[in-house]
Amino acid sequence: MPKTSDEGRLELLQGTLDMLVLRTLQWGPQHGHGIGQAIRTQSDDLLKVETGSLYPALHRLVKRGWLKAEWGVSQSNQRAKFYRLTPEGKKQLLREESRWAQLVSAIARVMNPARSSDE
Amino acid sequence: MAFDDDDFKDEIQAHLAIAAGEKVRDGIDPRDARYAALREFGNVTLTREAARQVWTPRWLEALSDLAGDVRYAVRSLAKRRAFSLTVIGVLALGIGLNAAVFTMLKGIALTPIAGVAGSGRLNTLYRETTAHRPVRLSYPDYQYLRYRDTAFRELFGSAYARVGLGKDRASRSLFAEVVTSNYFHALGVSAQLGRTLTDADEIAPGRSPVVVISDALWRREFAADPGILGQTIELNSARLTIVGVTEPSFHGTIVAYDVEVFIPIMMAPQLGFTFGSKRTSPAEILADPLTTMFYPQGFLRPGVTSASASAQSTTLWSATAADRPVAETGEQIRVVPFQRAPGSGQSTLLPTLMVLTAMGLLFLAIACANIAGLVLVRGLSRRGEIAVRLALGASRRRIVRLLIVENLVLALPGAAAGILLAANGIPVLTAYSEWLAAPERLFMNLGVDGLVIAFATLVACGCALVFGFVPALQTTRVDLMAVISQDASPRGAPRGRFRSVLVVAQVAVSLLLLVGAGLVTRSLDAARHAYPGFQVDGVTMVELDLKQHGYDEAQGRVFYKRLLDEVRTDGAVESAALAGWPPLDFLETRGQPVRMEGYDSRRDEDLVFLTSAVTPEYFSTLSIPLRAGRPFQDADDEASTPVVIINGTLADRYLGGPQRALGRRISVGGGEWRTVVGVAADVKYLRINEAPRSYVYLPFLQQYRPVMTLHTRGTAPDDVLVEQARAAVMKLDRDLPILSARPMTMQFTSSLLLFNITATMLFVFGIAGMSLAALGTYGLVAYTVRQSTHEIGIRMALGADRVSVVRGFLARGLRLGLIGAAFGTAGALASSRYLDGWLFGVTATDGVSFTRALAIVLAGVVVATFVPAWRASKTDPLSALRHQ
Repeated sequence: MPKTSDEGRLELLQGTLDMLVLRTLQWGPQHGHGIGQAIRTQSDDLLKVETGSLYPALHRLVKRGWLKAEWGVSQSNQRAKFYRLTPEGKKQLLREESRWAQLVSAIARVMNPARSSDE
Repeated sequence: MAFDDDDFKDEIQAHLAIAAGEKVRDGIDPRDARYAALREFGNVTLTREAARQVWTPRWLEALSDLAGDVRYAVRSLAKRRAFSLTVIGVLALGIGLNAAVFTMLKGIALTPIAGVAGSGRLNTLYRETTAHRPVRLSYPDYQYLRYRDTAFRELFGSAYARVGLGKDRASRSLFAEVVTSNYFHALGVSAQLGRTLTDADEIAPGRSPVVVISDALWRREFAADPGILGQTIELNSARLTIVGVTEPSFHGTIVAYDVEVFIPIMMAPQLGFTFGSKRTSPAEILADPLTTMFYPQGFLRPGVTSASASAQSTTLWSATAADRPVAETGEQIRVVPFQRAPGSGQSTLLPTLMVLTAMGLLFLAIACANIAGLVLVRGLSRRGEIAVRLALGASRRRIVRLLIVENLVLALPGAAAGILLAANGIPVLTAYSEWLAAPERLFMNLGVDGLVIAFATLVACGCALVFGFVPALQTTRVDLMAVISQDASPRGAPRGRFRSVLVVAQVAVSLLLLVGAGLVTRSLDAARHAYPGFQVDGVTMVELDLKQHGYDEAQGRVFYKRLLDEVRTDGAVESAALAGWPPLDFLETRGQPVRMEGYDSRRDEDLVFLTSAVTPEYFSTLSIPLRAGRPFQDADDEASTPVVIINGTLADRYLGGPQRALGRRISVGGGEWRTVVGVAADVKYLRINEAPRSYVYLPFLQQYRPVMTLHTRGTAPDDVLVEQARAAVMKLDRDLPILSARPMTMQFTSSLLLFNITATMLFVFGIAGMSLAALGTYGLVAYTVRQSTHEIGIRMALGADRVSVVRGFLARGLRLGLIGAAFGTAGALASSRYLDGWLFGVTATDGVSFTRALAIVLAGVVVATFVPAWRASKTDPLSALRHQ
């Protein structure tokens, strides 16, 4: 397992943020703050996404056509910009998931050569 | 889609509102909640920038980085105006001279024919004898190849000619091309008005009395009359109908001549052109296989090289061997690029341009070394700045890039100034050539165009990299701690050797240039004072072509006899004569095959000599002594025994010397046997630096020519004599064009034109190179001295006097100078033999040229070392010690 940071949090592996964002949006449209919160809660506070990384990532995904952004109103009746997966984005998520699975099993094999591949 | 700044601000505000709202719900005070949310969010500006960057294309980002570098470079260079202006000036000189040479090279080799796309790829075809002499093809030979030779897309023929333009206009002589009908089509030249020539113009001799004229002639003689088509003009007294005007950019295919009329080959006999044929009817002249008309030309088909075209054409040619004289078996067909067309202006000029190009590049090398020195010195004094940048985290690549951008910012204005220099300098050269050639019209494709600009820019960028890169690397290889801790002042040692290399290189190359310049200027000087074998002062020449006013042979004989009588009536004229060619005629003309009784030529020996027809007083008019026998007499006419006079070289080489040559018989051009009655001393027939060559004189009365040169000799000033001769011609025939009328002194000067241009350019290269090298050495030494101020102070404080301080620096400078001089001398000795073709009266290892160059270079080094050293030695030791 990778080292934990001083606050007991994990540093995000490079390139995984995009995947996490896509995954989070699988459950429906969400605004930037909500996405950050979701990643945090779902990882049991181990992962914290800096807004300085989150927003560029969101814009990157919109630019590639995987997300669509629209202004809307939140449950607490506040105005917010909501991000939604496009069909292209869904396909990309599937690709990233299988790549992630391969990566994890590959790393696991290297780290634990004796044992079988899965955790 | 693009980044929307306001939209993103809204989004962030919404984010903060939601986050704060959540915190309020968790029971935090609303005001604190807002701050907490902001804190959690982090740096809003950075986030916005990062998001914006997602939307910025990579090239735009690189561009804006670059723009920043450029802005910074311009600002920092503007602050050091002296440095920047020096670099730009040096570069402008280096690039300007090179751009000028390149423009000439381009006009000869790359785009020799203005108005024709890809003219540099044109190829020329000629017959080559077993003795490697090129021979022009006859019209039937051309026809044979034209329809069979598949190496060429389209083979066309064009013969250079001069024609007289009609009576009703002020009679004058024009350059013309006598062309096959596919000439324009093969070259891809079209008419701006009317049509060019078509196959219908090449059906039968005399059938197509038409002509295509140039844009320049149309504007000058016809005031650009739009109704010109269908009008007739008189050329050589034949009436031709104008059917077309070519595009303005087209000036014909004869390099250096401005061709103004294009005449169908089928009309050539009507205009008096016989191409060496002894036949008389137009149809017979065109069908005569013995004529020598032109070297056919054309573009090769894709994939065909000059060599393979030569082989292919030779095979075709061999098939006709049975129909031709035995002497011509073994002949080959050669196909060469247009630039090397035998006897052409372009092939004559090319070697000169090659030498100039080489010299230009050497000069550029000095300029680069010079600037490298300046950049290095400047870079050293910027070590502090660079060290700070490195310490602040700039990558080395980033800094090298900045330095290169700085160099480019210097190089591009340098290139622009250089292009201006070339664009303004070339017209001076062409104007000088035109003045020498007047009244003939010259045209060289010497425009400064996109190609030249691209060349100059490329060279400038190349220079920027060369002179910027090494110093840039050296500058960035700094020990951070050392530099910063020592109050960011320039120090350190590693650049010393590079600096010495720069000095040595500049001295060596400038010596090379000076030796070249010295050799050629000394040659020019020797050539100017050389005796060409005939009297130059007080002699005139007036060139006439009687066929330009439609004279036949009988009329021509009468005219020339009356002309000689007319000029002799003037008291100032002591002697007058006619000759087929003036001496020092520069361009190789057609030789004639010569047979000598009792001399069997070897198979690879080509007895083809230049000949001239002259009147009896020719030798006395030009003061050419006879080594044996007698001059021609008025009695040597058509009715008497055929006679001939040969020159000394011919007599010595083939007939056992002047005395034994008398009475022997020779035949010229397949004609009757002629008895040798005299042997004339050699003169310089084409060029002042030509090797001795055989030459044959025929008596004019036995060998009529319509084209003759009138020579007069007298005591009056040259220009009076010229006007007098011109007046005599005008008195006999007002409408006969005078091809040229000038004193022999001017013929002599223009025969040295190429020599002159080469010498002038080499001289400029040499002196400019030398000055740059001296300047560069000065700069580097001055810098070393300035760095050693501290050391000087200590030494003087310890009792050293100024002389010994100066002596120390002088010794160092001289040592570098001597090393450079040694390299330069070795290089010059190894390469000066390439200048052989430009040498006259000096050898390639001429001691005077070498000594002089060495003296100049070393004197330059001494001055460049002494001045800064002397100035440094005047410093007050105390203030020097207090420094730093």
